[in-house]
Amino acid sequence: MKRLRRKRQKAGVVVNGSFSREPDCGKKHKLAEINQALISDPVDIETLRRAAASKGGLLTDELRRKVWPKLLNINVYDLPHKPGRDVRDSHKDYNQVVLDVKRSMKRFPKGMPARERAALQEQLIDIILEVLKQNPQLHYYQGYHDVAVSLLLVVGERMAIALLETLSNFHLRDFMDPTMDSTKHILNYLMPILEQVDRELHDFMVRAEVGTIFALSWLITWYGHVLSEFKHTLRLYDFFLASHPLMPIYLAATIVLHREKEVKQTECDMAMVHHLLSRIPQDLPYELLIGQAQDLFEQYPPPLLAKKAALQSRKSLSISTFQAFQLSTLHQRPDSVLQRLTKAQGSTASRHGLEAALPGDRGQLWGKGNRMVKMAVWGLSATLGAAVFAVAQTALDWGPDVLLQLF
Amino acid sequence: MAEIGSSVEFSGSLSSSALPPPRTRIFKIIVIGDSGVGKTCLTYRFCAGKFPEKTEATIGVDFRERLVEIDGEKIKIQLWDTAGQERFRKSMVQHYYRNVHAVVFVYDVTNAASFRSLPAWIEECKQHALGTEVPRILVGNKCDLQDSIQVGTDVAQQFADTHSMPLFETSAKNPNSQGDSGGANSDHVEAIFMTVAHKLKSQKPLVLSQPPMGSGVTVNLNRGRDDGGDGAKGWGCSSC
Repeated sequence: MKRLRRKRQKAGVVVNGSFSREPDCGKKHKLAEINQALISDPVDIETLRRAAASKGGLLTDELRRKVWPKLLNINVYDLPHKPGRDVRDSHKDYNQVVLDVKRSMKRFPKGMPARERAALQEQLIDIILEVLKQNPQLHYYQGYHDVAVSLLLVVGERMAIALLETLSNFHLRDFMDPTMDSTKHILNYLMPILEQVDRELHDFMVRAEVGTIFALSWLITWYGHVLSEFKHTLRLYDFFLASHPLMPIYLAATIVLHREKEVKQTECDMAMVHHLLSRIPQDLPYELLIGQAQDLFEQYPPPLLAKKAALQSRKSLSISTFQAFQLSTLHQRPDSVLQRLTKAQGSTASRHGLEAALPGDRGQLWGKGNRMVKMAVWGLSATLGAAVFAVAQTALDWGPDVLLQLF
Repeated sequence: MAEIGSSVEFSGSLSSSALPPPRTRIFKIIVIGDSGVGKTCLTYRFCAGKFPEKTEATIGVDFRERLVEIDGEKIKIQLWDTAGQERFRKSMVQHYYRNVHAVVFVYDVTNAASFRSLPAWIEECKQHALGTEVPRILVGNKCDLQDSIQVGTDVAQQFADTHSMPLFETSAKNPNSQGDSGGANSDHVEAIFMTVAHKLKSQKPLVLSQPPMGSGVTVNLNRGRDDGGDGAKGWGCSSC
């Protein structure tokens, strides 16, 4: 197996294959850099992308609430309204969404009281259906709820709708076709990458006829479905939000390559190899693999793979729209300006106030009063990232997410 | 992933460090049916011997395995647990229909829609060239939920007869409970898969494991089954 080389020095971050210790000043430096990038006008999106991909990702949920919207070109002062009660009316995917969300308990923090979890699950159903309703071209797939919950837990309901909607129309677009043919097409990039790096491993897997379905849930949930530690999921979300839509496939390749010895030692049989690979080890060296995925992406960019593997026959919406999407993120105003502009317009000023965070007339859905209060607090914490930043742009709050821990 | 799909489902002898004896037969059984009918619970229940605390949506295909002994012969039972959502079955799961030796159709006795989908699932199998010579069984799951039963045993039995399949009603959650509608039953989940295994064993000795680190060519096992003769009709015990 050819060793992957780390050749780039990521913004202020120690790389060079040695990740064992990182001086705290690196983290502080990174934090300052991110905040500087956020107040630049236009927002320094390149720095934000680099920070999201480099060691440690975006570091805190507080920062994620500020940076994720920028990575997706979303104005946090003009967020969608909370879904109305009618969002659940007669949607063709309603039953499937409810079924999947109700049994997604594992996605929520372990200590979270059942009632709070239940309330968030209701929100999760709403935000998924809201995005689907507003975008009839998008079709629900099992696993979409894993993406949605990862966003919801960090940014709260309204921002999650905005993020999910943009992601669904770009990065996840291929998975949301009426059929999964485009998804299969994206999975087809996996073997050519392996072939480039480790032909022996590639050939072994071809002989085993293992296919690529073992990586399906990795791809379409951005690993949210298979990782038990939420912090690892978030780390990968930072990375993928800042990357090309095919990056999850490159990461899948690094994971398979990382387990090369295990794979080759297993019986050359579809079932055995599928079983081995589909069980993702929970102690993967994520930072190392992320770096390797970036290297692979540079060495073997998608067009090269497409040519080699005759993959170009099918058009991927996620890939073909990516350049335009990236360009669209280049001219964003910092939040302070956005807030001023939005206020000046006056039209949407009430959207981000406390009143918008309250569940309003949806008491019926939430049931008991106590939950109402908690939900209101939750709504607050969701918009907090934006609010705090607007009040004090330089706030370097390193502390834990106190509000998040209320639950 | 901790509860489901961990190595607890594997007996130690199946790990790569101790390959099974070269002639251990493998029975591959695919488990299909609508989303939420309990396919994951059933397969987990059989392979791990207990009801999983939480199951999540299956994305794509999951694989579980158990080594059993039938009439002194050690046999590996491989269960392929599939995603229920239609979009997965249309383009993703086909790969796993290949070389399958038996099919388990699952519906939820408390969900009439899942029962009405069965013809579509049967059709699905036909499209993948799994004919009636491949043993098939029908499982009505969740019969511990007595109060919300929507699919009566009579209707299900009639359907099963029409399609020459034995019917089992069970509960992966509580297989020994009062949950059956036809009398006292022992552990049905165990019985379901063991019935299939016995049926497969009684057929010609078709299924050989591949030699360790072997050529990777799967032995084609389907041929012998055509002259297995009796098809599915009347085999097994329709005990519900």
